[in-house]
Amino acid sequence: MDAQLFHIFRNTPLGRETLLQSIYFCKKVGASLIIYIPEFTKFLMYFENDVVQIDLDNSYLTSPVTALKHAKELLDQGKIKARFLEPKNFTASTLPDIPTNFDFMCCPRSISDLSSKIGLGYIGPRVRRIVNSARFPVLITSHVFKKWRSIAVFFGGSANAVNALKLGFRISRASEMPLSVYTHMENASKESYEEIIKNENLEEEMDHYVTEWHMFERGKFEENIYDVPHYALVVLGAYGHGLIRNIFFGSKMEKIQSIITNNLLIAGPKYALTR
Amino acid sequence: MRILRRWRHPASWTIFRLDDRLLLILIAVIVGTCSGLAAVALNRSLIAMFEWLHHFRHYWWSFIMPAIGAALSALFLDKMVKEGAGHGVPEVIYSVSRYGGLMRFRSSFSRLISSCLTIGSGGSAGPEAPVVMSGAAIGSNIAKLFSLNDRQRVTIVGCGAAGAISSIFNAPIAGMVFSIEVILGEWKAVNIVPIAIASVAGTEISRILQGNQIAFSHRLFHIGHLDIVACIGLAIISAVASVLLTRLLRSMHGVSKKAPFPIWVRAAAGGCAVGIIGIFLPIVLGEGYHPLRTMIEGAYTQGLGIVTLAVFAKILATSLTLGWGGSGGIFAPCLVIGSLAGLTYHRGLVLLWPSVPWVNEGCFALLGMAGLISGMLHAPLTGIFLIIEITGGYEVILPLIIVSVISTTLCHYIEPVSFYLKELVEKGQLLRPGTDARVLSDLSVQELLEKDCIIVKQNMLLRDFINIIKKSHRNYFPVEDENTGNFLGMIHLDDIRPYLFNPLMYDAVVLGQIMDTDVKVVYLDDDLSEVLRKMDVNRLFSMPVIASRKFLGMISKATLLDKYRNELMVQTDL
Amino acid sequence: MKLNLNDMARCLDLPVSTVDRWIRQGRIPIHRSGNGCIFKESILEKWAFNHGLRFSLPNEERKKERNFGLTNLLPAMQVGGVFHDIKGDDVESVLKSAVDKLPVPAINKQGLYERLLEREALTSTGIGKGVAIPHPRASLPDEIDNSLITTCFLEKPIDFEAVDDRAVFVMFILLSTSIKNHLNLLSRLAFCVRDDSFVEFLRTYPDSSSLLSKIADSENLLDKVDN
Repeated sequence: MDAQLFHIFRNTPLGRETLLQSIYFCKKVGASLIIYIPEFTKFLMYFENDVVQIDLDNSYLTSPVTALKHAKELLDQGKIKARFLEPKNFTASTLPDIPTNFDFMCCPRSISDLSSKIGLGYIGPRVRRIVNSARFPVLITSHVFKKWRSIAVFFGGSANAVNALKLGFRISRASEMPLSVYTHMENASKESYEEIIKNENLEEEMDHYVTEWHMFERGKFEENIYDVPHYALVVLGAYGHGLIRNIFFGSKMEKIQSIITNNLLIAGPKYALTR
Repeated sequence: MRILRRWRHPASWTIFRLDDRLLLILIAVIVGTCSGLAAVALNRSLIAMFEWLHHFRHYWWSFIMPAIGAALSALFLDKMVKEGAGHGVPEVIYSVSRYGGLMRFRSSFSRLISSCLTIGSGGSAGPEAPVVMSGAAIGSNIAKLFSLNDRQRVTIVGCGAAGAISSIFNAPIAGMVFSIEVILGEWKAVNIVPIAIASVAGTEISRILQGNQIAFSHRLFHIGHLDIVACIGLAIISAVASVLLTRLLRSMHGVSKKAPFPIWVRAAAGGCAVGIIGIFLPIVLGEGYHPLRTMIEGAYTQGLGIVTLAVFAKILATSLTLGWGGSGGIFAPCLVIGSLAGLTYHRGLVLLWPSVPWVNEGCFALLGMAGLISGMLHAPLTGIFLIIEITGGYEVILPLIIVSVISTTLCHYIEPVSFYLKELVEKGQLLRPGTDARVLSDLSVQELLEKDCIIVKQNMLLRDFINIIKKSHRNYFPVEDENTGNFLGMIHLDDIRPYLFNPLMYDAVVLGQIMDTDVKVVYLDDDLSEVLRKMDVNRLFSMPVIASRKFLGMISKATLLDKYRNELMVQTDL
Repeated sequence: MKLNLNDMARCLDLPVSTVDRWIRQGRIPIHRSGNGCIFKESILEKWAFNHGLRFSLPNEERKKERNFGLTNLLPAMQVGGVFHDIKGDDVESVLKSAVDKLPVPAINKQGLYERLLEREALTSTGIGKGVAIPHPRASLPDEIDNSLITTCFLEKPIDFEAVDDRAVFVMFILLSTSIKNHLNLLSRLAFCVRDDSFVEFLRTYPDSSSLLSKIADSENLLDKVDN
């Protein structure tokens, strides 16, 4: 079955960049695109153990007359068919429920706040909650449409990093793009990482998909990140650690997203390869 | 670190994994306490608002106050917490039936604040629905924190609602019954036990903080046989009143929706109107607990005309407040309208048959309350228990039952769906456990897929197809395009049987020529009720399932029955 | 016990999405942890029984599968054996001497003989080209363990009242455990006999081993056509 990518269309130039990014992703991965053109500034997403209300800012409702036309133009240019989502259920009369059984979702770095806040190092709170409770990975786009030609997976050894790695394999298999793995070693030897791969029975796939495994033994994480090519799609797992540790030490994801302008594909803690 | 993470998942502790009832009871205590606190907080702040604003009541501009309150509350809901207007109970029932009671965190305080603004400033609405919503949301979020599953979460949401009602009326049984009768709709021991515990916790909190006082105390009534007969008339009157209130609320809602103003202007307009009514009949303002008390004591001295007028005025004021965007519930207004209706009826009786020793008019006020609650909510038990508990009088039980039951029946006859459920039923979203709609909404097309179909290509010769038929278990063969893999049509064996035994056709025909291209298809995210309707209309027993123009499998009535039975058995037996 | 979701769904013979939803809704006594399902075997078994569902652990299931599947021609012929020079002048006597040679000790040979004759009385089992496939009307699930075909080359061709009136020189006595097996073996045998070169080969009265290898070849051919 085809994977599905969910996209919320914002009828502004900024939204155009995001949609272009989604179209590119869908074409590369062979996913089908599902577009929601909002009619209300808010909607709900019911996840397994959480419900997230997404408050869009008014720019999402910019001239609803042209929205559909603009979206279709972009789709035609990209030569891709998409399905437009009509919400079926409403929690309240102006509060539609959006289904959550997608395989990917595309978000700009912030969907609920003013676009003036867009910048590196800032991911809106709603996007965070989506990442945290979604079973699908979230594609966080760069601000400007940017083609990617390779895949870079950050692998830190945690259970979630393993999930991210599997996700990387999946993207690599679908898009036939080279995959490289980046590991910043923290007081652990090279062997210990290989041990993890072995325990997860991923050796075969590792050989098959991964072109390079960069292991950084010294230097700061922030400095080493420079080695990630600018045309790579960065795949990483988020919130692999407990909440408390995140507050005190920060997480890799925060560092990465505050340094890199690439497109990010983030696998949250609930992400599971059920299919 | 690990211990810290473990405490959030008590469901995985060995002691609770054996039997989750213990866990639910524990959480029910917490939730009942929290929602009880929320109810007390709202009650206290309403009293504080009332006292603070009391000084301004005698100014000529006081009619603006409800307008300001309503506007503020609408603004707060719309801009600050970004929630829809309305009293919230349908939202609770909706989330319970469709999403296992998942609710937003913000719901646990938003309605408290907005209804406090509306009611405190004089709008005619009740604090109960907001408290129910808050209690339910508190329960839902606590359940979320402990990672409970849907069934457990639904129970905990019920606990929240029960705790809230119990606490605000100091009435544990009413809370329990309301929560089960209206919110959950499922009488099962797994639900009842934690909800009872939560009711106790909620009541206890209220008693600790506010003292164990019965909300509306009364004198002893001596009810004669004639009074019981007279109850039937009262039931009819209260049924009429509740239908009137329902209709008026909805039509106000419709009118205000059409008005081309921002929501807070509409709310202000409604509030203003209420304020103007309030100048002449101050009884309509606020939630009305105070006038209720006087009425039950039989100390309400206004004459028959004024009281009759007050019934209509209160109905109008309530629909103006709620219909135009104020925030609050209909519970307290129902009580006020009911007791006013009871008074009217009593005075009418006294006027007609002055010689009959009628019981005190306070008693009729009580009965009217029960009649209205039962009529509006279609919940006779809630009405009966609530009145008994908030008045502390058991001697009225017989007429109470009669009024409640008759009023419910009559209202049911005119308005088949209760006020809380009306919205849901209209959208087809009332999914009570164990019903057909619920089973169908839980099952998804994905789960019913039969994947044992053999897919054939459109350019395949009939000769090759014969070989495929040999191996297939099915009568249906989906045809797809060689290159794109897109679904083109279906071949049904019945349609091509004549050609199958004609060897001359074997090499002359490709499948693309004999397939049926005009096939009704199902998409993965279609609702099953919709799919079934399609099948019935077209007299089909199975249909192909398509996702992004690819064939996925078949869905058939036979499998559906199989899964439907499984689902029903699993759902109804707990 | 712990299983992952996919295995769990297989054990319960349900779609993954159903099991997943039931766990989420708390309808099934399974506790979720990551991608794994934690459960108590006895409780789950009882639950499944009460709800009319099947639950079996993966290793038990594999055993069951082995008993299914149809017998092919070659093993059936190997069990049945090949016999030459069956004596007799008419159908009855030929069948009588053939039944005596059948390598099935447990069977009531007189009864079998009567049942074969009964079937012949209906219509002849001579399918043409000098080949006959005598068989009883019903299958014999209780009397034999495996379906078998006994090949009997006759001493001299006899008149079998076959469809093409040609004298029969070889009989394949077909005893099967189920109707399904019977049909399968019959259709496979018919496929071989349709081939003229195969019949020619039979006319050479081949010995057991060369006959079996020829059968194996033909059967491979058949399987190739099917796939």
